[in-house]
Amino acid sequence: MSRRAVLGALAAGGVGFALFGPRGGRARYPGKIVLDYWEKWTQHEGAAMQRVVDAFNASQSRIHVRYIVTSAIGQKAMIAIAGGSPPDVIGLYAFDIPPYAESRAILPLDELAPRFGVTLERYKAGLRPIMTHDVSGSPERFWGIVNTAGTVAMYYRRDLLREIGRDPDQPPRTIAELDECHRLLTKVSSAGEIERVGFLHCEPGWWNWLWPASFGGRVYDPASRKATIDSPACLAAYQWMQSYPRALGARRVGEFFDRFRTSIFSPRNSFMAGQVAMHVQGPWMANMIGQFGPGTDYGVCPVPTVSGTDEASPVGLIDTDVLVIPRGARNPEASMEFIAFTQRPDMVKQLAQDHCKINPLIEPDEEFERTHRNRGIRVHNAIASSSGAFVAPPTRAWRQYRDAVDSSVQRMWRLESEAAVELPRLNQQAQGFIDRSVDEHRRRHGLALGAASGAGDRGRA
Amino acid sequence: MSARRGIAGWVWVSPWLIGAAAFLFIPVILSLYYSFTDYPMLEPPLWAGVSNYARMLEDPTFWLVTKNTAIYVAVSVPLCTILALVLAAVMAGRSRFDRLLQAAVFIPTLVPLIAAAMLWLWMFNGELGLVNRALGLIGIDGPSWLTDRAWVMPALIIMSLWGVGQSVVIYIAALQDVPRQMYEAAKLDGMTAPRRFWHVTLPMLSPVILFNVITLTINAVQVFAIPFVMFRQVDGQNPAGYFYSMYLYDNAFQYGQMGYACAMAWVQLLVIVALTLVMFAASKRLVYYRAA
Repeated sequence: MSRRAVLGALAAGGVGFALFGPRGGRARYPGKIVLDYWEKWTQHEGAAMQRVVDAFNASQSRIHVRYIVTSAIGQKAMIAIAGGSPPDVIGLYAFDIPPYAESRAILPLDELAPRFGVTLERYKAGLRPIMTHDVSGSPERFWGIVNTAGTVAMYYRRDLLREIGRDPDQPPRTIAELDECHRLLTKVSSAGEIERVGFLHCEPGWWNWLWPASFGGRVYDPASRKATIDSPACLAAYQWMQSYPRALGARRVGEFFDRFRTSIFSPRNSFMAGQVAMHVQGPWMANMIGQFGPGTDYGVCPVPTVSGTDEASPVGLIDTDVLVIPRGARNPEASMEFIAFTQRPDMVKQLAQDHCKINPLIEPDEEFERTHRNRGIRVHNAIASSSGAFVAPPTRAWRQYRDAVDSSVQRMWRLESEAAVELPRLNQQAQGFIDRSVDEHRRRHGLALGAASGAGDRGRA
Repeated sequence: MSARRGIAGWVWVSPWLIGAAAFLFIPVILSLYYSFTDYPMLEPPLWAGVSNYARMLEDPTFWLVTKNTAIYVAVSVPLCTILALVLAAVMAGRSRFDRLLQAAVFIPTLVPLIAAAMLWLWMFNGELGLVNRALGLIGIDGPSWLTDRAWVMPALIIMSLWGVGQSVVIYIAALQDVPRQMYEAAKLDGMTAPRRFWHVTLPMLSPVILFNVITLTINAVQVFAIPFVMFRQVDGQNPAGYFYSMYLYDNAFQYGQMGYACAMAWVQLLVIVALTLVMFAASKRLVYYRAA
């Protein structure tokens, strides 16, 4: 065969592939608007969301939604939006709202959402600050819809509290009581090895910036846009944290932590294995217990505070997932129609039950709470409606700030640095991140960021 | 005819040219431009002059990752080179046992980096890891390799030796190329085995050593995947295991500071070019090129 014949055959093959080759998935649904929905969830959480998507697809003939699992969703969504080829709906984390909103990378929902019956007033008070964000020179504040929500509470082993002679229905309410329970529950072998601890701040280590709240402190002041992690309350919180490795020995604690540092999603989870009697977690912990330690006798209470838990307004962090419509979405109306479907009370409750999370909607919860798999769901619900609830700081520098907190907490936890020395340094560093983001926004848009104010900002950290 | 052949040549190489332009040359040029801007990706780049480069001077995290990376390069590259040379010298024979050893040393390099990192995560586990269990057998109380700041770097350097097989294979191939008569002559002159290694083997291998040291250095300066898996846990990044490329990645994709990340990438490139030029300059005195 001549060279010309080979080239001709290759060219013909290429043209044939282009004309008659496989089409994109959208072609499979002729006559329908096909929406791509990027979400981070896999396994049982992904399956639960897929059921909601399936219910939507079955409910009508005009739109079809494709559920696409996307890891590292914050980064990939950013690249897709920047590249001008975003999906139609994205399931982001709550802390993504400020950077995305300030960059106008997501569409404001102030007008669109109410037209589909989705209003802020439908959601529990503590969740509203997550869905809104003040952007300079813009009256728009409503940027994302809470899809699932959790609050952070303290999980404790009822059987172990009983073992030390404490009524399991009376978990620690103050820091002093928590310290006392920890002391009684901690077991150290004759060789000096830690066998069990009452409480461990670094387990699971997902919210290293949580502790100041128990001392009345916050790590950020949204009104002045100042980092406040060097405040006296924050200092007291981290000094309290350091008292634990100081008493047990930093190295011993490190070795103890090594036993289960990669085992959180397994039966060797420190809580289920009985090695850590009390730790902070979200309501999804009940799913983990059901999967890896079904017999675990656990209870749930708000994270103790210095002054003691106020039943009317328990202190706690709210952590949520949000649905947003990215800039460049092909059909925002259809995207909003899908989002509105996911926010139907039956869908919200179904997803919350499957994910073992709270119901984000403000409505009577008796049936929901009665049938929920998490026996502490009332505690989680109460935190979401509490004036003591708080959310991640509404600054686009938060991700960097939080990473810096994590590094500092690790240093303090290993007693490589004293809180009194570490926190001012950290505060200065964090303020640099915040100032830079504010300055860049000012230079880009010619305006300072609008002062955070109003009811929507209540409770921000 | 020659013009037609010229056109045909361009047509044949055009896929590569288009690919290289789209995915290499244009991004490289754009990254240089972005390094002089504030570019959060979600908004257009905004000219910022040299502020990204100036910021590095006062960024404590930049200096932390630079120090960590420099230590890693300074220790791991010589260590890998020496170990690879010794292993190659020991295993250069043609016996079945040598072949088995060569395979054993090379096979780890075929294991994907992430899988290797997960494996070492368990090997270095302070409580349950094989390393500390082995040390315990000889009465040594092993450290917390993965959490203790003092032991994070040694753990990572030990891990870097895991990939020494590639260098060993190259050295073994080079050793086969050393003329036997040179060893025979050295033997006749009364040289002992270590002196033969020093005065015959090393000079003959020096061009290959140069190549290996340069490639090892380039890889070490860009170390990313293994510390990312091992030292970025649920409770955050261990500062002792934080490296230059990881911070660059964080700035680009986590913090929305692509401009700063591009500036860091250009500094990294310039450092690699400078190190390579220094090694080439040193090679003029240290490397022996046999006449063809």
